[in-house]
Amino acid sequence: MNNDEAKFLLTAYRPGGRDANDPAMTEALAQARQDPALQEWLTRAQAHDAVVAGKLGEITPPPGLRDAILAGARLGSRTQAPRRRAWWRQPVWLAAAAALALLLSVGAWKLRPAKGTTLDEFAVNYVARGFMLEKRGADVAALKSWLQEQGGPVPISLPARFAELRGLGCRTLQYQGKDISLVCFEREGREFHVFVARREDFPDRPLEVAPRLRGANRLVAAAWSDTRNHYVLVSDATLPDVRKLL
Amino acid sequence: MSNPAFTQLVEAQYAPLYRFALSLARNSPDAGDLVQQTFFIWATKGESLRDTAKAKSWLFTTLYREFLRGRRRDARATSIEDLPPGQQDIAAEEVDRVARLDAATVMTALQSVDEVFRAPLTLFYLEDMSYLEIADALEVPMGTVMSRLSRGKAQLRAALEREDRGAATKVVPFSAAKGVKS
Repeated sequence: MNNDEAKFLLTAYRPGGRDANDPAMTEALAQARQDPALQEWLTRAQAHDAVVAGKLGEITPPPGLRDAILAGARLGSRTQAPRRRAWWRQPVWLAAAAALALLLSVGAWKLRPAKGTTLDEFAVNYVARGFMLEKRGADVAALKSWLQEQGGPVPISLPARFAELRGLGCRTLQYQGKDISLVCFEREGREFHVFVARREDFPDRPLEVAPRLRGANRLVAAAWSDTRNHYVLVSDATLPDVRKLL
Repeated sequence: MSNPAFTQLVEAQYAPLYRFALSLARNSPDAGDLVQQTFFIWATKGESLRDTAKAKSWLFTTLYREFLRGRRRDARATSIEDLPPGQQDIAAEEVDRVARLDAATVMTALQSVDEVFRAPLTLFYLEDMSYLEIADALEVPMGTVMSRLSRGKAQLRAALEREDRGAATKVVPFSAAKGVKS
């Protein structure tokens, strides 16, 4: 982890040390303790956060809001007929689902670095955890050249509608000891991350001639192959939007 | 939920919800409406959520959804950290700058941050939610929360600097400055 990555994580670290035991923060905090420059940045960032939080806490709701809420809710509750709930909306199931969701989300941080039994699963976990670009820029040809220089797999051809997206950047990474390229695009606030793996590096992975889509972890994943590579697209766009793109 | 329990929930959450709403809506009447609407939904949604431990997250999620309803999300969100190196740096004087601004000015600066970054940023500064809870409330991945915090903080620092510069150059009427009645 370099200092930029540590700063990225520590930006979410709340003043007062309440997140000190968070698995995601442990390594970044340890690095800050060993690096005076990073520690100085953290101290300053926390001081800044504390002052802003303090100012925000001084904002008071308008007088009468509390009473209006209570009065409005009383009125509303009188006009609502009681409804029978579906079994899956019963409290016990809701609580179980919430607990499971929490376990899954907390568990995700323990999988550092991102893991997955398949390239698709790895790609979704990688995006869900957040990452940093190594090369930034909108020129996709320049991004491809950079990936080639790094020895990473280079996408041969992306679906035609990718031309409508704005390039953000790229990076290289490793999955199961093999080089993977990641090229990122954006459109209207939605991100499209394309993982590229050489087919020869994953001979057991089935070829996906037609894109296969699925939803996972609030993201949509789509996989396909061409003559040289396997591709996994991970996006926070809706399933229909991703389908339209492919 | 019994009335005392509902009252207790309102007491505990209406102020932070209002601050969150004010940062989103940018004006007090709309913020008040959003908070009222959120509690109204809570009180009238039948018996759909009895797990009071999740109430806080539910309220913030509902308020945010109500705000977004009919609105298009800001077009500049990415879950990757693409801040140019250096933009995360904070000069020592920036802490002093915020300290000398009043709360309303800081809120104005916060309100100028892009909406998509403003929501997680405000929840972060309310200090009651971890990034995991913020991700849950806004229904986005954890990495997205971190990225939006990072970029939102950079935007906020720039906005605070603008506000501070604006405050420093405000013209004070001569009569007011001298205490002279016109």
